[in-house]
Amino acid sequence: MGIYSEEISNISQKSNENLFDFAVVDEQKAEQTGYSNYSYWRSTWQSFLKNRVALFLLVVVGLIIAFVIVQPYLPFQKSPTEIYIDEQTGSQARNVVPSAEFWFGTNSIGQDLWSRIWAGTRTSLFIGFVVALAEVVVGISVGALWGFSRKLEAPITQVYNIVENIPTTIVLILMSYILRPSISTIIIAMCITGWVEMARFIRNQIVILRDREYNLASKCLGTPSYRIILKNLLPYLISVIMLRMSLAIPFAIGAEVFLTYIGLGLPISEPSLGNLINEGRVLMMSPDLRYQLIFPSVVLSIITIAFYIIGNAFADAADPKNHV
Amino acid sequence: MEGNNTNSRILSIQNLIIKFRLRGQVLTAIRDISLDLYKGESLAIVGESGSGKSVLVKSIMGLLDKNGYINQGNILYKEYNLAKFKSEKDWLKIRGREIAMVTQDPMTSLNPLKTVGKQIEECVVLHQGLKGKKAYEQTLKLLTDVGIHNVEKRYKQYPHEFSGGMRQRIVIAIAVACNPKILICDESTTALDVTIQAQILQLLKNLQEKYGLTTIYITHDLGVVAKVADRVAVMYAGDIIEVGKTHEIFFNGKHPYTWALLSSLPQLGAKGEELDSIKGTPPNLFNEIKGDAFAPRNPYALNVDFVERPPFFQVSETHFAKTWLLHSDAPKVEPPQALQSFFEEGRRYAYGK
Amino acid sequence: MTKDHLWHLLPSFLGVIGLGEVRKMLWYIGKRLLQSVLTLFIIITIVFSLLRLMPEEGYLGSAAEKMSPEQQEIYLTNLGLRDPLIVQLGNFYLDLLHGDLGTSVTYRTDVPVTTIISDKITYSLLLGLGAVALSLIIGVPLGILMAHMKGKWLDRLGTGYIVFVVAVPAAVYYIFIQMYVTDLFKLPMLFDEYNPVSWILPLTSMALAPTASYAMWMRRYMVDELNKDYIKLARAKGVKERTLMFKHVMRNAFIPMAQYLPATILFTITGSIYIESLYSIPGMGGLLVDVIQRQDNSVVQGLVLIFSSLGIIGLFLGDLAMALVDPRIKLGKGGSVR
Repeated sequence: MGIYSEEISNISQKSNENLFDFAVVDEQKAEQTGYSNYSYWRSTWQSFLKNRVALFLLVVVGLIIAFVIVQPYLPFQKSPTEIYIDEQTGSQARNVVPSAEFWFGTNSIGQDLWSRIWAGTRTSLFIGFVVALAEVVVGISVGALWGFSRKLEAPITQVYNIVENIPTTIVLILMSYILRPSISTIIIAMCITGWVEMARFIRNQIVILRDREYNLASKCLGTPSYRIILKNLLPYLISVIMLRMSLAIPFAIGAEVFLTYIGLGLPISEPSLGNLINEGRVLMMSPDLRYQLIFPSVVLSIITIAFYIIGNAFADAADPKNHV
Repeated sequence: MEGNNTNSRILSIQNLIIKFRLRGQVLTAIRDISLDLYKGESLAIVGESGSGKSVLVKSIMGLLDKNGYINQGNILYKEYNLAKFKSEKDWLKIRGREIAMVTQDPMTSLNPLKTVGKQIEECVVLHQGLKGKKAYEQTLKLLTDVGIHNVEKRYKQYPHEFSGGMRQRIVIAIAVACNPKILICDESTTALDVTIQAQILQLLKNLQEKYGLTTIYITHDLGVVAKVADRVAVMYAGDIIEVGKTHEIFFNGKHPYTWALLSSLPQLGAKGEELDSIKGTPPNLFNEIKGDAFAPRNPYALNVDFVERPPFFQVSETHFAKTWLLHSDAPKVEPPQALQSFFEEGRRYAYGK
Repeated sequence: MTKDHLWHLLPSFLGVIGLGEVRKMLWYIGKRLLQSVLTLFIIITIVFSLLRLMPEEGYLGSAAEKMSPEQQEIYLTNLGLRDPLIVQLGNFYLDLLHGDLGTSVTYRTDVPVTTIISDKITYSLLLGLGAVALSLIIGVPLGILMAHMKGKWLDRLGTGYIVFVVAVPAAVYYIFIQMYVTDLFKLPMLFDEYNPVSWILPLTSMALAPTASYAMWMRRYMVDELNKDYIKLARAKGVKERTLMFKHVMRNAFIPMAQYLPATILFTITGSIYIESLYSIPGMGGLLVDVIQRQDNSVVQGLVLIFSSLGIIGLFLGDLAMALVDPRIKLGKGGSVR
């Protein structure tokens, strides 16, 4: 390290008289800091977009949902519950392998599997969404109350401690056993067990956040409460909420399959993925008929995996630590 | 830097540029620094938050964050060029063994689930080549050296059973246990209260003498500098703008930023006066800086400060400052009044007596 | 357990050093025990009350057709089902203290529920313990490896596996395993307690989900810890990356894991419901499915109560394990962070 005398002489030669005069003091320049046009949501969205797998699956899920809604109105669709009679034999078209007429084949009583699967997906998705929604609404309300209200905090904590310890499987089984199985029963049963985790999570987050110094600072600056909630708390919570919602759907579908298996699921007249899988399971031993099991399983797997990955990807994208 | 014998130079940083990748952009944290370290001395690196002090020393040990990289330059130590080190194997030759660090926050720097003794002994085993009972005894000796009593009992205890100051002593013990040649103290007293600070600084000084260490202190506190440093380097915006012996900087500072730093120290005994502060904020290091980085906030700025970056001007054999004010064509500028009296008093104290 | 911990525990148990430490630990354990018992009591009461809502045909069984409505009423009253809830609760607890959980109606008529369940419990227990052991042996190292090779092929593969196992309902892949793997490896479809090979599929199937859990947990823990300050200091000390991973982080990871271990074992027993039916294992889970189908209320009641209790017992044992192992709790500083 040395003194760059060459440079100094260069400068001296290049200089006009002006160079070594005092510069005009510009206070504006002194205050100029880095401007960062960082927007949380934009950064989240960009992070999410970088995850091509999640993006792809989002499209897939979107397509499936759209298709499921539109399917009954497409041409050549058959009814999911009607029993088809084989013209040649005059008896039920049982266990027909996938063919031009029955795209996914038929089941053991002669119902068209293609339409049954999509009907079943409709039902399962419906149950999943409703449960997820209810979970979010109830969970957030209870969690928020639990976190904010000092008075209610103790009693709710007690209730939580008790409820938390009951295995959800047991409650599901109990509910379905007591109230006869139907779509509403399943929905109610899953709602009852689902909101608990969400409430605790929201409550933990709120407790941590409400006393965080940046919220205190906002209050000191005179920010109204609704703005604190909107700008400070909500972005933090939304990623968590989205994650839980997207995980609720695979869970709901799984629970439905489980209940059906035990015998507490939906009646056979209502096609659902759980039913279809169980029907298919019975035929597991005959390799030719396995298609009845495989098709619903594949559809179910795609949906559950997709939701799970999308949910996780979104949660990762929304985490500010990953915005670097 | 020819003040000391060139042969006693143990670390030489040459034209170092360090950049970070952040949110798709590139930030230049160290903008071409050259600095030498001499054997046995204690060098203080002073600067505001964000001036790059920590980044500089982390690069010496290969502890930069994953998104940081050395863009150009050399770090010469013994026969190695640390700037060219790539693999962990390379760094293991240096870390602990040659260069050790005392970190800032003793609360989080210790493994909460391992006893304190084991954590120190790990270094002893790694770097002093001792094992078993000998290592244990050496660890106890180290604990005593850093001023901990009841060492046998303390050896078996966990970090949360110690107070902040004692934890810092343990971190120091860990660093010293590595038997290094260079000890880096990265804001080691910032997290402690003032009385403990003084004790720890004294401890570091003693250890330096006892073990013949060369120390680098990173701090933003001029008081710490005054107590421990032989030489001072003042950093601003990723560059070293002034370097020299402690008394030279404190009593004969030449860069307006140094003046501003010294002026902003509250003077005990001068009641009722407004505290001086530096207007504005440090520059954005994402942008390329033209000229002197301090110019926009410098009340003594010259036009040339906005055009060309000043090189080091020599003030004495050991004192250099990067300010155009020292150029022969520059107008003569005196430091502010209050500072002048401080300088005079200081010089009388240091040289006069 | 490291030498440190033994060093610490031994004197405690011998009561030589610091009776205070032993006292603090006992106090903590006592507190948790009380909490658990209380929770257990409340849960059993609630569940029992809910169970009163069960359809009443479940108590009558096949005899229902032969009885007129009035006779059914009398029968039910004799069983004590018309008494006020408090009385029923009281009777239940009294019976419980004698170890009496009622008698089965439809499943095996007039056989005490306790007998029925105790026949089955061994199988479920073995299955549960085996599955957890297997998942620990595979899952934990997998998680560590995944953290070590973060971003590389093993990590991606492992993540894919975890996603699959967690997202897809167990029911689905259990069936597929039974369908295809039996052909592939010539493994038996049905369980036979005298044929050890027939244990393989049920154990492995059941271990898949916990393995994924452990791997995911371990990986996340290690990645988080490796970013902490004390690791940075250790690195500055000159400790090798591999040593950091194994001797520092991994050791620390076992402590929180100790807490969840007993709970997982017990929850696995409840999760055995599927596997037991698929492979015809005569365990508690399969029993549950059977009695639900046959609407045998007393057995359903017995099983539900046992399953509920197991969860709480598991959590308590977990806290106990934590207390023994985590130095922070041992010395009375702070409770477990759950």
